[in-house]
Amino acid sequence: MPRRSRSTHERARANRRPQRHKDVLHRPGGHRANDFRCVGCRLDVSVEAPGTTHRNHCPNCLASLHVDRRIPGDRAASCRGRMEALSMSVRPDGEWMIIHQCRSCGELSANRIAGDDNALILVRLAVKPLRDPGIARRMFLVP
Amino acid sequence: MSNTKKTLSRTSQNILKIGTFSCIRCGLTVSAAAGDGVRRNHCPSCLHSQHVSDHIEGGPSDCQGRMSPIAIAVLRTGDWMVIHRCVRCDELTSNPVCVDDNQLILMRIAVRPLAQPPFPLETFGDL
Repeated sequence: MPRRSRSTHERARANRRPQRHKDVLHRPGGHRANDFRCVGCRLDVSVEAPGTTHRNHCPNCLASLHVDRRIPGDRAASCRGRMEALSMSVRPDGEWMIIHQCRSCGELSANRIAGDDNALILVRLAVKPLRDPGIARRMFLVP
Repeated sequence: MSNTKKTLSRTSQNILKIGTFSCIRCGLTVSAAAGDGVRRNHCPSCLHSQHVSDHIEGGPSDCQGRMSPIAIAVLRTGDWMVIHRCVRCDELTSNPVCVDDNQLILMRIAVRPLAQPPFPLETFGDL
């Protein structure tokens, strides 16, 4: 009984219409080749970001990967460590920049924020120096 | 180039001999050791520094550019670090804050992101 059923199955496969040609290739160099999975929160991130052409950090947790050495985009670093958002800086034109620090080698880098970055985490990063009450006491802002 | 090398070597001799350096931006002559004995690497008045060591490859750097303070980072211990950026080659460094650093400039760098937010901050008042 299994033998007969297998033969009918094979015949059905032989008569089947060939599979439609795929023009979308899910492999390196093909469709969505530059998408990445965040090393911090494992979110799948696409490279298309509103407001920037170079997505270099996760919009959810702001973590990045240490891949560039001196020039942005050169992919020459051998570290591949996780870079976490350390602090917030501002350009003279008022644009926010995230300062990333590599957890593996301590290297710093500055990156522009993207339009879909998590606003709550961005603001938490910006007010982080002001959370400590000790500095306000040192500045004589509170008695 | 040889002229700058000569002045640089004279500066480093000054740091070794009499323990002072003059700020590259405001010209203030400051002692290389801060009040609590920690070695200083930026001017306490304007917080600017000089790019003398290469952090990517290690060793001394031949850039010698001016490094301006761009951000304040907070360590887990609560201590503040100043993030410097070289105006010539855009390299970033982080240095601990000294006790006699200019608190007004430190606070100005810390609150600068909140002065020009990229989105309205009113919604965060409800949280």
